[in-house]
Amino acid sequence: MASTNPASTRRSKKRSDPTEAFFDDLAARGHEPLLARASGTVRIELHDGRRKEQWYLSIANGDLVVTRRGGDADAVLRTEKQLFDKLVTGRANTMAAFLRGAISFDGPFDLALLFQRLFPGPPPKRRRPATAARPER
Amino acid sequence: MNGNSVQILEGNIFVVSDRRGDIETSRTEPNGLFAFDTRFLSKWVLTVDGERLNALSTDDLAYYQAQFFLVPGTGTVYLNPTLSVIRLREVGHGFREELTILNHANEPVRLTVRLEAGCDFADLFEVKDALRKKGTYRQRVAPDRLVLVYERDTFARATHISTTVPADVDEHGFTFAVDLDAHGEWSTVFDVEPSFSAADGVANDPVGAAARKPAHRDMARGLEKWLSAAPRLEADSDTMEATYHRCLVDLAALRFTTLSMPGRALPAAGLPWFMTMFGRDSILTSLQALPFTPELAATTLKALGERQGTRHDDFRDEDPGRILHEMRYGEMTAFEERPHSPYYGSADATPLYVVLLDEYERWSGDRKLVRDLELEARAALRWIDEEADLQGNGYVSYQRRNERTGLENQCWKDSWDSLSYRDGELPGFPRATCEIQGYAYDAKVRGARLAREVWHDPEYAELLEQQAADLKRRFNRDFWVRDGEYFAVALDADGRQVDSLTSNNGHLLWSGIVDKSKAKAVVAHLMGPRLFSGWGIRTLAEGEGRYNPIGYHVGAVWPFDNSFIAWGLRRYGFRTEAARVAMGILDAAAVFAGRLPEAFGGYRRETTKYPVEYPTACSPQAWSTGAPLLLLRVILGLEPEGDHLVVDPAIPVELGNLALLDIPGRWGRVDAFGRGRVDISARPKRRTRR
Repeated sequence: MASTNPASTRRSKKRSDPTEAFFDDLAARGHEPLLARASGTVRIELHDGRRKEQWYLSIANGDLVVTRRGGDADAVLRTEKQLFDKLVTGRANTMAAFLRGAISFDGPFDLALLFQRLFPGPPPKRRRPATAARPER
Repeated sequence: MNGNSVQILEGNIFVVSDRRGDIETSRTEPNGLFAFDTRFLSKWVLTVDGERLNALSTDDLAYYQAQFFLVPGTGTVYLNPTLSVIRLREVGHGFREELTILNHANEPVRLTVRLEAGCDFADLFEVKDALRKKGTYRQRVAPDRLVLVYERDTFARATHISTTVPADVDEHGFTFAVDLDAHGEWSTVFDVEPSFSAADGVANDPVGAAARKPAHRDMARGLEKWLSAAPRLEADSDTMEATYHRCLVDLAALRFTTLSMPGRALPAAGLPWFMTMFGRDSILTSLQALPFTPELAATTLKALGERQGTRHDDFRDEDPGRILHEMRYGEMTAFEERPHSPYYGSADATPLYVVLLDEYERWSGDRKLVRDLELEARAALRWIDEEADLQGNGYVSYQRRNERTGLENQCWKDSWDSLSYRDGELPGFPRATCEIQGYAYDAKVRGARLAREVWHDPEYAELLEQQAADLKRRFNRDFWVRDGEYFAVALDADGRQVDSLTSNNGHLLWSGIVDKSKAKAVVAHLMGPRLFSGWGIRTLAEGEGRYNPIGYHVGAVWPFDNSFIAWGLRRYGFRTEAARVAMGILDAAAVFAGRLPEAFGGYRRETTKYPVEYPTACSPQAWSTGAPLLLLRVILGLEPEGDHLVVDPAIPVELGNLALLDIPGRWGRVDAFGRGRVDISARPKRRTRR
């Protein structure tokens, strides 16, 4: 794996690309406790019309390394770039997309389940519903 | 389910047909071949020379296999039939059906055999609610197969139907021109395979692949292996032995294989509507079955841990650390018309997850799993304090954030009217139900043990113990109904007691949150005439505003509920009472030929000689199946103590001798023996004060 992080060099100019921002952030964090038990390399293959971009995420007990080029992967996730942009910003759900056939995942499924922990929830508009008053008795 | 339907199943897949083996859709019955919450076959009708057949007999050979003996004719006038038609059907990956036709006549015969096949690809939710489809259908025809396809956007489901004997295949089925010699025989085999892909190959079809890889490839050998791995029961009572056998077989049938762990299984909740992973049901069933089939617990813990919530998502009622309520794989879930991908709206599954992890370790000694799941267990414990205390009063409450398709009641009594004040009024939300506080207490106590002994974090252990002690003190003050001497079923949004008398009190004994000084009064209520029917403890006490003996959660008796209550009674030393509850439920099980329904009527035993089955109960249902198993544990007094299994029987006289042989655990395998010595006929002391 490359020792420097190629993603980070593009950080400034491509900040508007959600997928880039997502991988930049993973690379910068370098560790994700939610993946402490996971190990393996996932190749993420994103299609945008005829264009195809690839990312490699290597996980070693929660330590993360992001690269654009790599060799063998333990699993391959394929989807449209547009959908992946939504996944990394919490505007789409991985399992639902998988059931729709909009994502394919070749590899151990438990790795897929752990990988999706990296995605955030929907954009915050979260508020607790006001506590309901007890109905009149 | 209607007595006219035949169902065979294998965890992820089930087939419901009529007694001829035909499948036709119906509003009231989920007829068809179902896999992963989708109907893969809704029409499957056999005719000979254009005529429907009549069933002579139907045999459920095994839970995964049925045989239909059919003859042509109207069935109104009896004629000696000269043809026999036999359909032998077995569920595996989809199903396999061997069709055989025998000519009994002394002369040759020419027949047109037709099998109509079709599919609506309904989501199970659509079958339940009769909704319309949004995608398109097509069929692909080949000489030996018919492929039925449904597509909507990127979503595709397909059914591949093949025959070993070539047929005239059209878009709606198979036609065979059959020439039979005198006393001749003709046969073909159909394979019906569900797929999550419209393409021919099976690449990119992990769901289909999982369906093709059941935990046990050879069904008969798989079942035999399962039965022989479980402890052997020797009982004076034949019905006890029969019930035990029935439970083990039904539990085998309910084994559900998840996509992430092919070859392993956890208990699905029940046939026909709940053949999927549920947090609460899978955990409680695993707890009941721990002394018998501990691998169910290990798989449940892993599968639920992998899918633990990590984010806030209002649609799914997901929080970090929350254990899922229900997972579904159908079209409505895929298009986010339903939130089950998975849905997290359960307030008890998360504390119960920690309870199961600890109980599993106490039995199995499998510390590796406890270490592997440390992160998940800590996140679950954190959820109790940081996410579930909606009112800031130190209690776990629930209120759905998904107000359209989320669940209103996130406890096991999940019907709309299950929680009420004495006068029958319903409380608002959020609701903090009592048994969940008990589970939270137990989770902290057990989490502390795991922290100290396995994670080597004594500070965390101490913190959890302090929190548990504090919760117990507050709970015994805030939930105790002084003028009735029992625990309120819940606190409402104002912190006021929802003061009806319910079976939930028994779960509190199980969790250990009840002050010793209060236990006697609680037990007097549980065993008193308002709650105890003679068959079991009612969900809601007679005399409460909403009491109804055939009300789902407001008077009916739930076998699973009673099994945990009996465990709680033993925990507080009420041996005779535990034996009495166990005997009532086991007597009921005998009436139902070993297969307890989800619930039965709360009528007094003296009034109805037989327990009255609740009308729409699911069967077999996992936690009803687990109930006799847990009751066996309770009356034998099985309790792991370090590396040993303590046996302290308190068995009703009526049951005679019991021997449970080869109980698996950290001790290897040990036997437990007990003699029926407890006289349960002594009337309990009446206590009607409230």
